[in-house]
Amino acid sequence: MSDGPLIVQSDKTLLLDIDHLLSDECRRAIASFAELEKSPEHIHTYRLTPLGLWNARAAGHDAEEVIDTLIKYSRFAVPHALLVDIAETMSRYGRLRLEAHPVHGLILVSNDAAVLKEVTRGKKVAPMLGKQLDDETIVVHPGQRGFLKQALLKLGWPAEDFAGYVDGEHHEIALRQDGWQIRKYQELAAEGFWHGGSGVVVLPCGAGKTIVGAAAMAHAKATTLILVTNTVAARQWREELLQRTDLNEDDIGEYSGAKKEIRPVTIATYQVMTTKKGGVYAHLDLFDAIDWGLIIYDEVHLLPAPIFRFTADIQSRRRLGLTATLVREDGMEGEVFSLIGPKRFDVPWKEIEAQGYIAPADCVEVRITLTDAERLNYATAEQEDRYRFCSTSQSKKDVAVELARQHANDQVLVIGQYIDQLDQLSEALAVPVIKGDTPIKERERLYALFRSGELKCLVVSKVANFSIDLPEATIAIQVSGTFGSRQEEAQRLGRILRPKADGRGARFYSLVARDTIDQDFAQNRQRFLAEQGYAYRIIDADEVMKKN
Amino acid sequence: MSTVAITFADELRSRSDEELANIFRLRPDLVTPVPNDFSALAARATSTPSLVRALDSLNLWQYQIIEAACALPEPFKKSELVAVTSEQTNFALDQLWQMGLLYKEGNNYRTPTNLKLLIGDEPAGLGPFSVKKIDLDTLKKVPQASQEVLEKLIWGPPRGQIANIKKPGNAIGWLLENNVLVALDSHTVALPREIAIKLRGGKIHKEIFSNPSKLSGKEIEQKQIDSAAVANISTILRWCEEFLHNLSDETPTALRTGGIGVRDLKRIAEHLGVDESCAGFIAELCYLGGLVVIDSDDQILPTSAFDLWLSKPAEERWYSLVILWLDTSRVSGLIGKLGDRSIAPLGPELDRAGASLIRRTALKVLSENRQVSPDFKSIQEIIKWWNPKRANSDFVEWFLREAEWLGITGQGGISTFGINLLSGAEDLGIEFALPKPVDHILIQADNSAVAPGPLLPELAAEMGTIADIESRGGATVYRFSESSIRRGLDHGKTGDQIKSFLIKTSKTPMPQPLEYLISDVAKRHGKLRVGSAHTYIRCEDEGLVQQILHDKKCEHLRFRKIAPQVLVTDFELLEVIGELREYGYLPAAENASGVLLSQPNLRRSKSRPKPPRIISEFSAPQDAVVIAAVKSIRTGERSRKVEPIIPGTSSNETLALINQYIAEGKTLMISYADNNGGVSNRIIDPISISLGTLTAKDEASDEIVQFRIPRINGVAPALTILENKADLDL
Repeated sequence: MSDGPLIVQSDKTLLLDIDHLLSDECRRAIASFAELEKSPEHIHTYRLTPLGLWNARAAGHDAEEVIDTLIKYSRFAVPHALLVDIAETMSRYGRLRLEAHPVHGLILVSNDAAVLKEVTRGKKVAPMLGKQLDDETIVVHPGQRGFLKQALLKLGWPAEDFAGYVDGEHHEIALRQDGWQIRKYQELAAEGFWHGGSGVVVLPCGAGKTIVGAAAMAHAKATTLILVTNTVAARQWREELLQRTDLNEDDIGEYSGAKKEIRPVTIATYQVMTTKKGGVYAHLDLFDAIDWGLIIYDEVHLLPAPIFRFTADIQSRRRLGLTATLVREDGMEGEVFSLIGPKRFDVPWKEIEAQGYIAPADCVEVRITLTDAERLNYATAEQEDRYRFCSTSQSKKDVAVELARQHANDQVLVIGQYIDQLDQLSEALAVPVIKGDTPIKERERLYALFRSGELKCLVVSKVANFSIDLPEATIAIQVSGTFGSRQEEAQRLGRILRPKADGRGARFYSLVARDTIDQDFAQNRQRFLAEQGYAYRIIDADEVMKKN
Repeated sequence: MSTVAITFADELRSRSDEELANIFRLRPDLVTPVPNDFSALAARATSTPSLVRALDSLNLWQYQIIEAACALPEPFKKSELVAVTSEQTNFALDQLWQMGLLYKEGNNYRTPTNLKLLIGDEPAGLGPFSVKKIDLDTLKKVPQASQEVLEKLIWGPPRGQIANIKKPGNAIGWLLENNVLVALDSHTVALPREIAIKLRGGKIHKEIFSNPSKLSGKEIEQKQIDSAAVANISTILRWCEEFLHNLSDETPTALRTGGIGVRDLKRIAEHLGVDESCAGFIAELCYLGGLVVIDSDDQILPTSAFDLWLSKPAEERWYSLVILWLDTSRVSGLIGKLGDRSIAPLGPELDRAGASLIRRTALKVLSENRQVSPDFKSIQEIIKWWNPKRANSDFVEWFLREAEWLGITGQGGISTFGINLLSGAEDLGIEFALPKPVDHILIQADNSAVAPGPLLPELAAEMGTIADIESRGGATVYRFSESSIRRGLDHGKTGDQIKSFLIKTSKTPMPQPLEYLISDVAKRHGKLRVGSAHTYIRCEDEGLVQQILHDKKCEHLRFRKIAPQVLVTDFELLEVIGELREYGYLPAAENASGVLLSQPNLRRSKSRPKPPRIISEFSAPQDAVVIAAVKSIRTGERSRKVEPIIPGTSSNETLALINQYIAEGKTLMISYADNNGGVSNRIIDPISISLGTLTAKDEASDEIVQFRIPRINGVAPALTILENKADLDL
C-alpha cells in the first residue's frame, strides 16, 4: 500500500487529495485521460469516462500508460476489474477510422472485420454507408462525416478521424502583442486545440477566451467564421480582434439582424443563423459563402440545436468551441463532443485566480425571510407561478435596493430574470435598465457609460448573461434567475471576474427567499461554482437591513 | 447370491487392518454408516454411487489404468496390465487396489462387479472380444482398401455402419471373411478387442498421461498479486454489505419457485455497479453465510447474523464466507439463462455434484504454481487431468472468476491470503494488508464530505443516517442534502447533535452553508405534528373544554387537549356521545364536513365482506378416474389375499432371489414399503437390478416401475401363492 494522493473509486471516480505533496504531479498525469468533475477546496473529483479515455487515445496515450499512472499514484490497491475495463474501453477507439481515399472519397476503414460488420448492421449507421469495397473498407456518403461520427460514438465504437481538414481560403492573421502578452494558459489552450484539429476549450469567464480564439486564428491563418450569442458580443469580438491582431476594419464583417457583411473574418449571431423564412433557415448559405478555414463557436454550451445540424455538415472544417462551463442543462454534451470535438483544454477556475488573471470573488447568499402575507400568497400560488412569486417579492426588492445603496461607490450590476421586477428595481434605484427590447445602440451607449464609470449601477436582464465585457463591474446582485441553471450562475459571476485595476476582489450577491422553492433552485445553481471551489457565505437579510 | 461379490468380500476379509483402514480413508463414503460385515462392505463398495464417487476421485492416469483393466479378460496378471499400459503402472496399481477398484485372486487381479458397467462396454474405445478364434497373422495380409477401414476403427469408436451386411463390399467383405471384423447386426460391424489391441501396438491408449502438463501463464510478482487481491477482498466485503443493506431498503419478494427474480437481480446489479453474474454470486455468497434468508412471507431479507457479521473484523468476515464457498455444492455460475429456463440465485436449482472437488483442485494447482497468472486453457487442462470425470470447462471458468472476486487470487495468481487460507493458517494476513480505517472526514463547501479511507464502523453508521453516499470504493464520498439531514433528525438526532458530530469528526472546518442547511432543516423539522385519534370534541367555549377535561367522571375517556378548543380520545364516537350525555353534557355528532347529524348513523362494520365458502355437492368423477380406482382396488385385493404368505427375506437373500428370478424370467410377488412406511404386496415381472433399484413390470398398473431394494421386505414366486389361494378366489 503506497501513500499516494489519489483514491480510485470503483464507480470510476478519482479523488485527488490536493493537500498531498504529489498532488500537482498527479493532477498533470491524470488530466490527459480523466475529466475534472469538481474542484472544491480539499478533494478534487475526476471521472473516467469513455469519452475521456478515447480523448486520451486520440492524444496518443495508451491503456498501459493510464493504468500505470493510476497504480503509481493510488493510495489504495486499484480494483482489477476497473483496470480491465479501462483497457477494454481504450481499445475500442481507433478500430474504426475515417480516411480520405483518392478515388472513393471518404471511407470507413477497420482492420477488425467483425467490428465493421457490427456497426454496419446498426439501423442508424447503415444508411450513411455506401458500397463495401473489401472486408475492411466501406465508402461513406459524402456529407455524412459528422452524423456518422455521432452515430458511431453512440454505438461505442468512436471513429478516429484521419480524413483531415480543408485549409480554407488563406488569410494572413497574426497576433499583435504590443503592450500586452498572450498568457501561458491561453497559448496552451490554442495549441491544444490546433494539434487536436477540432475541439472545445474550457476557460473561466473573464480569463480571455477571445484571445484563445485569436491565437487559434493566427495558427490557422485562414478565413474564419465566428458564431456568437448576440450582437453586442459580436461587436466586442470585433473590437478585441482589431486590438489584438493585425486584422483591419475591412477584414472583419458582422452578420447579424442589423448588418449582413461577409468578410474574411465574419462574426455572426446564433439568432440570425437560426432565423427561418418561410419555414427554411434563410442564412445557411453563410456556411458556404466562403471556403472557411476555421469556425469558432463562442459560448458553445448554448449552441442551439439547429446549429448542431449545420455543424454536422461541415466536418472538414476546423471547429473551435469556447465556453466557461461545458455543463449543458439539456444534456447535449455528447453532441458537442462528436460534432465540435472533444475537450482540448480545461483548467480549474481557482488556478487561474491564483495566477491573478481573474479577480477573487466573494459569493454571498442573502437569505430573505418573506413577510407573513407573502408566505401565505406563496403557499396558495399555483405550482408554476411559485418561483416567480417568491423570487420577485417586495422583501427581496427592498434588500436589493439596500445592497445597491451600500455599494454606491462601486460599479454594481443588478441581474434578474423578470422584466417587471427589473423595471421596478430600475425605478427604485433610479438607474437605467437593459433588457431584450433595448435597442443595440442604446445598450452599447449604456455599457460605455458604465465602463467609463459615469454610470455606477445598471439593472440588466439575462441579455447580459454572456459575453458582455464590463471590466470594472465589481458587485453583482442577482435577484432572480432561470430556475436552477448552474451555468447561468457561473456566467453571471463571470461578469465581475475581470481583474480590477486596483486588484480588488469582486462580490456576488445572490438574493434567496427563505423556505421557498427559490432556496432549492439556489442550491442547484450554486453547485457548479461550489464545485469549482467558490464557497458561498450565507448572511441574513436582517444583517443587510440593520446597517441601514 | 452373486458369487463374485462374495469373492470380493472374501478378499476384503483377507486384507490387513491397515489396508482396511486405507480403503475407508480413500473412500470415506464406505464408512458412513459403518457396514455390518464384509459382505455388506463389498456390496456397498460395488454399489454404483460409491463406485462413481471413487472413479470421480481418480486422476487421468489412474483412470486410464482402470480403463485398461476393464478392457482385459479377467482374471489378468499384473504383467499383462503393465504390458498394455506402461511400466509406471507398477507404481499406481497399489493405490487402485487399496481403493478396492481392483481385487486379487491369488496372483491375478479382477475388477469388482459393476465397475465394468460404469466404465462402459467399450473401454478406451475398444470393441467386444471376438467369439471366434482369431489368427493374428492374417493382419499381415490385409489388403490396402481394408487397411483403410481398419485405420478408422482402431482408436474407436470400434463400430461402423454399413448398408447391408449381406453385401459388404470388397474391403469390409475381406475383413469379415477373415474374422478381422465381426458383424453385430445387419447394419453394424465392429473391430474385436484383441485385434484392436494388437493394432494399437499392444497398448490400450495412444498415450498414458502419467503426469499433469506444466502450467503456463504470465509470471507476476507476489506483491502485485497481493495488492490486487486486497482490492478484491475489500470490494467483495463492501459488495456483500451493500447488497444486504439494499435488501433491507428495497426488499424483493422471492419467486414462487424460490430465489431472486430476474428483475430484482438486475436492479441489485445496477445498484452495486456490477454485472448480473457477479450480483448473483454475491447473493449466493451471503446466502451461504446465512446473512440473507427467504422469510416465511417470501420476503428476501438480511438476517440478524448480518449485524453480527458486520461487527467482526474484515478478516473474520472474509473467512466466514470463503470457507463455505470452498465446500459448497452450489454453483452460482449457473445463474441466468440455461436453455429456455432462467436459474435464480437463492433458488433450488444450483446444486451440482463435484463442484467443491473442482474448486479445491483449481486452488491446489494455483498454489503449486505461485506467482503465475495462468492461461485459462492450460489450467483447465491440468484440472481435467486431476478430475477427468468431473472437470467441466464452464465450472473451471466460473470458479476462477469467483476466486478472483473473492481475492483468493489477484490478477489470476494465488494470493498470500489464499495460500494461508488453504494451509489453514491462523492469521491470514488480511487485517494487516487492508487499508487502516480512518477516524475523520473532510467536509467541503459543496455540501459533500469525503472519508479518505474505510471509515470506522460507528462513524460510517452515523454518516449513513445524515448523508447520502455518492461514491464508494477505497474512500467514500457523502453528500448532505435537505432530505439526508431530515433522515438524521427522524432518527432522533437534534440539529445541534449533528453539527457537533460533524465538527468533531471533520478535519476541515465546517462550511457555513452546511451549518445553515442543518439549522434550517432542524428548525422546520417537527413543526407539523401528526398523530391519530378516534374521536374529537370541539367546542368554541374554551371554558367548557376545560371543564370536560377536568371532569372526574370523564377521566376514563382519557381526553387529550391538542388545541384550546379541541379534545381527542381513542374511544369510539358513539361511546363518547353516550357517556357525555350520561354525565349531563349535550353533545351532538357531526360528519366529516362538520354538518350536525340529527340522529346517530346506523352502525356498520368497516371491514370488507368475507362470506363463507360455499361447499357444493361432488360432481361426477371422470371415466378414467373410475377405471383407475377399480384397477387399484383389484390389485389391492389380489395382494391383500396373499399378504401373509410372503416370507420375510434379508437383503442379501432378496438380492440373490431376485437375481435368480431375473435369470429364470419368473413372475414374483414382493412385499414393498412405500414412502409413508405402508407395506403392500405387488405382483411384478423383474427386469434388472442396478443402482440399488429393481426395475420391474408392475402387473397392477402394467407399467415399468422402480423398486428400491432395501424397501423390499420379502420375495416369493407369484405362481405358487396364487395357486395356493385359488380356492379363495371365487
